Amino acid sequence: MTSAQTSQSTLSAGTTGMAISARTQRWRGFPKLLPALMFLSLFFLAPLIALLLRGVLEPSPGFDNYALLFANSAYSRVLLNTFSVAGLVTLISVLLGFPLAWAITLVPRGWGRWLLSIVLLSMWTSLLARTYSWLVLLQASGVINKTLMALGIIDQPLEMVHNLTGVVIGMSYIMIPFIVLPLQATMQAIDPMVLQAGAICGASPWRNFFRVFLPLCRPGLFSGGLMVFVMSLGYYVTPALLGGAQNMMLPEFIIQQVQSFLNWGIASAAAALLIGITLVLFYFYLKLQPESPVGASNAR
Amino acid sequence: MLLTPNAMGPRLRIGLYLTTALIALFLLLPIVFIVLLSFGSSQWLVFPPPGWTLKWYEQFFANPAWMAAVLVSFKVALLTTVCAVTLGLPTAFALVRGRFPGRELLYALFTMPMIVPLVIIAVAVYALFLKLGYTGTLFSFVVSHVIVALPFTIISIINSLKLFDQSIEDAAVICGASRLQAVFRVTFPAIRPGMVAGALFAFLVSWDEVVLSVMMASPTLQTLPVKMWTTLRQDLTPVIAVASTLLIGLSVLIMVIAAALRRRNETSA
Repeated sequence: MTSAQTSQSTLSAGTTGMAISARTQRWRGFPKLLPALMFLSLFFLAPLIALLLRGVLEPSPGFDNYALLFANSAYSRVLLNTFSVAGLVTLISVLLGFPLAWAITLVPRGWGRWLLSIVLLSMWTSLLARTYSWLVLLQASGVINKTLMALGIIDQPLEMVHNLTGVVIGMSYIMIPFIVLPLQATMQAIDPMVLQAGAICGASPWRNFFRVFLPLCRPGLFSGGLMVFVMSLGYYVTPALLGGAQNMMLPEFIIQQVQSFLNWGIASAAAALLIGITLVLFYFYLKLQPESPVGASNAR
Repeated sequence: MLLTPNAMGPRLRIGLYLTTALIALFLLLPIVFIVLLSFGSSQWLVFPPPGWTLKWYEQFFANPAWMAAVLVSFKVALLTTVCAVTLGLPTAFALVRGRFPGRELLYALFTMPMIVPLVIIAVAVYALFLKLGYTGTLFSFVVSHVIVALPFTIISIINSLKLFDQSIEDAAVICGASRLQAVFRVTFPAIRPGMVAGALFAFLVSWDEVVLSVMMASPTLQTLPVKMWTTLRQDLTPVIAVASTLLIGLSVLIMVIAAALRRRNETSA
């Protein structure tokens, strides 16, 4: 309120001395974020730009690395694999997250809190601990195979680690909380009266679900799903431990090129591709959000 | 209807509750399993274990390599927390109260490390520290962790700062406090929940960080997740289950603290 008004009036006054004070008014508070800005520029932005430049400079200037990324069949399989795993993981975590979010909204508050605590516990438990646990659970002599064999459902152990199955199970598990939390918030905000109105107007439960409830859930479903897809594209730990050499994903590929082959050029091109896709998808994610946290709405 | 359990019809209701119970069990399964396994006596992780034992815990605590890793993890996480809060606090103030142009863009920049895939940050920072010769130092761990912890801290503090009415701080100034006094004695206590949450987030992010740490680590300087990672790639020894159980314990502890803080906040509000 005051700062905006004074800067307005000093600007209209127009004398030189007052213009300077208007400028300091305009940048009031800016110096406070300089330390963090310098830190991020030095240790985050500069290295990031330097890394991306290597893709067009090494080993020789040009776009050879990018061409190679798409032309080499082994490399393009990595790209295809990254997208199919991310898509599959998003689909499964939405299918599992939806009923859970719905139930949290439905059940009495106490039960809802317990369910939410389980979701949060799983989210905040060490990623490495959970992945290790899946590695042990899914291995050939693991509990799941033994149980299935004891029940007579299978007679050979299923191969569930070091392949696509392992990656998809492990990643979907990790992503469920990221679907449940936004989706539950959306469902909580739906007015039950709207659904009642649908029923009174003669909609069958199925019709009410698909034509009224599901469309109302769409914002949470879309933003959660998009977030999970983006995160899945960039995950390293779980695919590296639960996946096999046959179905490598982009992040693993980048690390391998850097650490094992010292091939910074191709790693950098792959990194640029991953960042590009991530930022574009994230832009759509922001479009789905109602407002930015530092947007105009907090103007005093 | 559909949002009230009684009105949705018994078949749908029972179906939904059953599915939910199964999914909740699925979420708990690996966590409970690993805790039980850490007490099991089988070297080969047979389940259910033939007997119960504490020998893996003894092995874990008697092994200087694991203990050193725990110590490094604590050091790095504490330093990261201190740095992230020190850098994040003034930044949050500037972003919420400043009226300078480009705030939206700066906010986007500060939250960018949350969005850019970790692998890329890790490779970029690794390249920088490789040039400077800093890999395998405590400094490289803390710097890389602060990059990813900072957005969490800034967002937590922004959220509580936006709820705080600045006229209360102005009132303190009118009553004769200096601006600095007012901020320290009035505003900071009011936004403490956000500061504590930001600090907890920063600690947890650093404590659990794998990708950045694996790139920064040297054989002599490792955090707990790095030690787990390198051990895991050789064999699945139950000692890793012990380390995992301790990590889970810490997560639960921090969650309980956070919930207690939130409850106290709700009652005082």
